[in-house]
Amino acid sequence: MKFGWKIWLLIIVILFSLLSIFGMPPTFLQKGVLITSVELNSTAFDQGLRQGQIITEIDNQKINSIEDFSGILKSKFISGEKIKTVIKTLDSEIILYDNEVPEITVSDISKTNLKMGLDLAGGSRALVKAQDIELTSADTMDLAEIIENRLNVYGITDVKVLPVSDLSGNNYIRIEIAGATPKDLKKLIGEQGKFEAKIGNETVFVGGKDKGITSVARSGQDAGIESCQPASDRSYFCNFRFAVYLSEEAAKRQAEITSNLDVNNTPQGNYLSKKLDFYLDDKFLEDKSLLISEGLKGRVTTQISIEGSASGETREEAYKAAEQEMKDLQTILITGSLPYKLEIVKLDTISPTLGKDFIKYILIAGIVAIAAVSIIIFIKYRKFNSSIILIITVFSEIIIILGVAALIEWNLDLLSIAGIIATVGTGIDQQIIILDEAKHFTSLSLKQKLKRAFVTILGAYFTSLVSLLPLIWAGAGLFKGFAITTIIGITAGILITRPAFTDMVKLIEDK
Amino acid sequence: MVECQPSKLIIWVRLPVGAYLKNKMEQERKKLKNRIAEFHDKHYKVLLLIPLSLIIFSIIYLSIFYSNNNDFIYKDISLTGGTSVTINGEIDANKLKQDLSNKLDDVNTRQVYDLITKEKKAVILETKTSGETTKNVLEEYLGYELTNENSSFEFTGAALSESFYKQLIIAIIFAFVFMAIVIFIIFRTFVPSSAVIISAFADMLMTLVLVDILGIKMSSAGIVAFLMLIGYSVDTDILLTNRLLKRQEGHLNEKIYSAFKTGITMTLTSLVAVFFSLLIVRSFSIILTQIFTIIAIGLFFDIFNTWLTNVSLLKWYIISKGESK
Repeated sequence: MKFGWKIWLLIIVILFSLLSIFGMPPTFLQKGVLITSVELNSTAFDQGLRQGQIITEIDNQKINSIEDFSGILKSKFISGEKIKTVIKTLDSEIILYDNEVPEITVSDISKTNLKMGLDLAGGSRALVKAQDIELTSADTMDLAEIIENRLNVYGITDVKVLPVSDLSGNNYIRIEIAGATPKDLKKLIGEQGKFEAKIGNETVFVGGKDKGITSVARSGQDAGIESCQPASDRSYFCNFRFAVYLSEEAAKRQAEITSNLDVNNTPQGNYLSKKLDFYLDDKFLEDKSLLISEGLKGRVTTQISIEGSASGETREEAYKAAEQEMKDLQTILITGSLPYKLEIVKLDTISPTLGKDFIKYILIAGIVAIAAVSIIIFIKYRKFNSSIILIITVFSEIIIILGVAALIEWNLDLLSIAGIIATVGTGIDQQIIILDEAKHFTSLSLKQKLKRAFVTILGAYFTSLVSLLPLIWAGAGLFKGFAITTIIGITAGILITRPAFTDMVKLIEDK
Repeated sequence: MVECQPSKLIIWVRLPVGAYLKNKMEQERKKLKNRIAEFHDKHYKVLLLIPLSLIIFSIIYLSIFYSNNNDFIYKDISLTGGTSVTINGEIDANKLKQDLSNKLDDVNTRQVYDLITKEKKAVILETKTSGETTKNVLEEYLGYELTNENSSFEFTGAALSESFYKQLIIAIIFAFVFMAIVIFIIFRTFVPSSAVIISAFADMLMTLVLVDILGIKMSSAGIVAFLMLIGYSVDTDILLTNRLLKRQEGHLNEKIYSAFKTGITMTLTSLVAVFFSLLIVRSFSIILTQIFTIIAIGLFFDIFNTWLTNVSLLKWYIISKGESK
């Protein structure tokens, strides 16, 4: 049996797809547990444990499952005394001294690179919209950034916040959080939040319109990177500066509070003895505190300038870091003072418990359906070979769709699965057309017959393709999963699996 | 040695009978085929009256439906706005509905059960009441807190649902128009292209009417299923038109018959696959159940519309074109 290039192409694409689904080395061979969250400001966090790391060993005992993990840790801290724990991750070893169980949550490592959508894996999704006003797309981008920042401040890092618009021209922010739902999600995204800047215990200004900050310069001459210099240790650091405009009252308060402070003389310059500290919903933002320069002591000024710096290994990295740092600070300053109210128009919180069963049942449904189809094909054509190549092609199509989905990190939700089913359905239909054309009794050569089949299949492909396109943009992207998976599937079908199938038919018919 | 003889004899006698029967069956089949072809040649135009009357009935039904309900479908909460809650655990769906129907607006419940053991695994509750209120009512009723571990909440605001609905309708209209354009580009002749489009349209129309008659409350996913239907219904039509117009050899009826054999296999395999999937997804997913139900109905009408509506229109066109030559 000699394979034509179309079959080889299919084999290669399938191999690549499998590689993309399972990774190299295959993820299912990886032992250990995955850290899904680390409590902020905990000992574990301070020592460098982070979300996404894989724990392989604790105190020289191998960890292969969540049970191993909790088993070892639970029995350790009964006494309540401070004891040493050695946690080995894939790339580091971390030693903790503590009297309680490290505040981290873990999960089993996923066996594939496939990402499941919220409705299957659990998590939360919200669509947020500004109340009573139309936001421009630039405003929406800002808002997305603000929300993401606020969620990050609360330690929720596995989050996707993106501005979306739909066919009717509405702008929304879509927020997706994988895994467990944070308790006050609604508050976090829906409410405006309380932002305060304090010196010591005294509040200088609070966020919100007319409450302190009137505006924050984000670009132009009042905001930007000032300079970049090489540091002593071959790295670079860049300085940024931006202006913040305070209300009269806030300016007066600032003057009053600072007038009583002492001045510290440091090599970098003269600063007041206390810093300007930021609080978001009463949470102290530790690394965002600012030094106050001597010149501001007791002075009433509505324009203050905020300076800072960030470093990096190269000049470019330092520049980027400084830009990011500036953006973060600006966002925090604006966060508390959104000029409009937010409205949650959709909020889904999906428990991860049922999702696993879902996937299992979907697999069963798929296998039963494919089995039923192959029995019919077998009865109709009375040829074992036809049924076999049909099933091979169906499975390779599914593998290719999943491979592409893993490659582009597509989240497979329930509608995407419906899309895969739709693809398999049309795929089988088209294969039947090919089989029937090949069997058709005429004087034509097999090649000509198969060409004829392709005319019909191409027609069917293009009608399906164009009818799916509008769905990509409808409904704030919630139906995109269906459209994209189906388009991937039918396109892979027309380019790869169908040509290979015709070659397989040739192999069988020529025998 | 003695036992061998009778068996040899039987074989010798049987063979010709078998061949004779097979031959006879073949003849009968040919006769039947001819009779059907004759009948079809005589009555194919009359057959068009069946789909035509069904289309007229559908349009009348939908207009009455529209004047009563102010819409073409019954909408579920994904299109009207409201909350869908899934509570894990052994809770009886019917009892929950009874007990809460006066506390929540427009309550509907559904049981999720294990496929094999038939054990109750969860209950899905849908209501037009907002997420927050629903949660409070449920927690009070159940006597425990609903967390992310034991429940799922999906809330959609009324304005958003309304806008989703409008957009999905627009998406379907666009999809249909795009499909029609592609069909015209493929066949480049007016009547055959129109025949394909008319049968696809009839297919969706009849499916919609049956969905309404069955009282199915349509979700956004259900509308997506209609979109899938566009693709499914035109591919048999394309097959038919291609076989009839682009193939030179063979008599018209033979071409129709061969297209029918292929097309019906296509639709039947899809129907069987959908049917078996439906048996399984019924137990856990409202969304997939609805998608598959609508596709099953659509495929059923597709058989009807391809092999009655489209065939008759196309035959009429080909015959009258042949006569005018």
